[in-house]
Amino acid sequence: MSHTGIETDVPAVRQGGATNAAIVTAVEIGGAALLGAFLLSDKTVIIVALLAVMGAIFAVLQLRPRVEERIVAAFRDQRRLSMALGAVIVLTYPFFMNGSSYVLHLLIVAQLYAVLALALNFQLGSANIPNFATGASYGIGAYTSALLAINFGISFWWTLPASAVVATVFGFLLGFPSMRTKDSYLALVTIAFAIVVHQLLNNFAWTGGANGLVGIPAPTLFGHSFAQPIVIFGWRLPSQANFYYLAAALVCLSIVAAKRLHESRVGLAWNALRADPLAARCQGIDIVRYKMLAFGVDAFLAAFAGTIYAFYVSYISPDNFTFLVSVTIMTMVIVGGMDNTLGVIIGAFLLTMLPEKLRIFSDYRLLFVGVIVILFLILRPQGLFPQRARNYGAHP
Amino acid sequence: MGAPAALVLAILVSMVAIGLLGVLLDWLVIRRFRNAPAMMALVATVALGTVIREMIRTFYPQGSNPKPFPSIASGSFAIGDFVVPTFSLIVIGVSIAMVVALFALLTYTPVGMRIRAVAEDRNIARLMAIRPSRIFAITFFIASAVGAIGAVFFVSHAGVVRFDFGVQLGLIGFSAAVIGGLGSMQGAILGSLLIAGVDVLVQIGVPDGASYRLVFMFVLTILVLVLKPSGLLGKPVFEKV
Repeated sequence: MSHTGIETDVPAVRQGGATNAAIVTAVEIGGAALLGAFLLSDKTVIIVALLAVMGAIFAVLQLRPRVEERIVAAFRDQRRLSMALGAVIVLTYPFFMNGSSYVLHLLIVAQLYAVLALALNFQLGSANIPNFATGASYGIGAYTSALLAINFGISFWWTLPASAVVATVFGFLLGFPSMRTKDSYLALVTIAFAIVVHQLLNNFAWTGGANGLVGIPAPTLFGHSFAQPIVIFGWRLPSQANFYYLAAALVCLSIVAAKRLHESRVGLAWNALRADPLAARCQGIDIVRYKMLAFGVDAFLAAFAGTIYAFYVSYISPDNFTFLVSVTIMTMVIVGGMDNTLGVIIGAFLLTMLPEKLRIFSDYRLLFVGVIVILFLILRPQGLFPQRARNYGAHP
Repeated sequence: MGAPAALVLAILVSMVAIGLLGVLLDWLVIRRFRNAPAMMALVATVALGTVIREMIRTFYPQGSNPKPFPSIASGSFAIGDFVVPTFSLIVIGVSIAMVVALFALLTYTPVGMRIRAVAEDRNIARLMAIRPSRIFAITFFIASAVGAIGAVFFVSHAGVVRFDFGVQLGLIGFSAAVIGGLGSMQGAILGSLLIAGVDVLVQIGVPDGASYRLVFMFVLTILVLVLKPSGLLGKPVFEKV
């Protein structure tokens, strides 16, 4: 399995298999139900109550680390079951959303942000490279595919790899200064890059200037247009469901990529870079190469998300890809927990849905989100789900 | 007396108020990130910026609309053939005075010595009976108060003030400090002159320059940092094992 040559699978502790299965099932279905209830409720009282429940759950995990350990152990034991159940939940989720296109829209945006946060996590989480330009890569991906589709009529499925390649080239270009600068200086280089990209998109005539690009055609798959609703066995899902499944597939791909990279030599090299760049270099790790690689991977995944976003909303403008988008993505990674795939995804979901659901506080919602982020950083700086030590099976 | 005196008073009040706000924000939030990775502090301060902007927008009457701001000086002087607006003279004069005052403060006063000591090594400074928390409060007061003067000059020049005008200015100021070299006052001045110079030259010399001014400013930032990774006047850092 692993490329490190070290066995990563824990010799299974077979006792309590049924209990573990019950824990996995309860956690997954409970989590899905909580999210669903949160998404579907529109009464202030219920939303606040659900937020309180979530807060209580995180408080328990914070105060009783053993509960978290137990759940993690159960998931490790019942890996097949957890994956199968997760797949079933993701596939059937839209059917429980009462056909609400708004809820599906939220889920799509949250999933795209989860992909972006996972992309940034390769840099910020694994290798400790500050990158404020993920939003720019996202924009480059979206614009590349939109321009290809509008001007040359290229189908969605071909623009997907094309935009990823273009964004990766820009990612390497941005990685170039990272060979010499670091810390705040490197952060500023990426901030400057993000602003330059945004300003150029805003000013060039061929990118539509501040008005952006309109009329991006909907993708089709085997003759089924993504603008059409899905009808299965008499069940009818709104057209957003197409993009929901597409985004879910991309999240899956990102999780697999994250896991494979984490378990490979690349992931180890990134972690070594995070621990101490100089020591890593002394170990013979080519730090320039791995830094550049991190920029490339980030841009590649971000471009995928950008392409799906462009084809989903069919209209993009430079304001979708500002510097503040990059800061939002970075906040998701930090709030969720650096170098923890699940934490990053939950961070992305939370920070996408919180402002939407706090609309009931209308004018104050951004204020609330800012305060919540600051409180998070102060009270739980390691994130909701902190990075876990690498487990090579010695202590299951 | 009259309008000018009221304006001077307003500027002084805003300096003190913003200086105290800086101390408060440091005490409430920023000091908690002193030992954390730089990224945490950066994200926390960006979030803090959002909170403050949103507070102005929601709690100030009609906060989302631009407000007119009076010019702090009108009229102009004629020096030979040149006609110089009084406002420009005041800005230049006050800026030079502030630079001199800050330099003197850092170089010749006991407080300045303590600030430099804390910047050099916080723990050793503590052994020398310097209280770092107080020094941080002082530096936050000074930095915020100086920022307030800059803001007053800027909005007076623009004639309007908006709740979110600081986002872009903050980034430009940060760039100036970084390309000059963090920790070097001469560097900060050099950096800001360079960025402002490029800004003005682009607006005059490049066709459609006003739209592309940010592009030029930030491309310059990237280029400087590629060539001089720790800023123009920053000390190169040698890594030791």
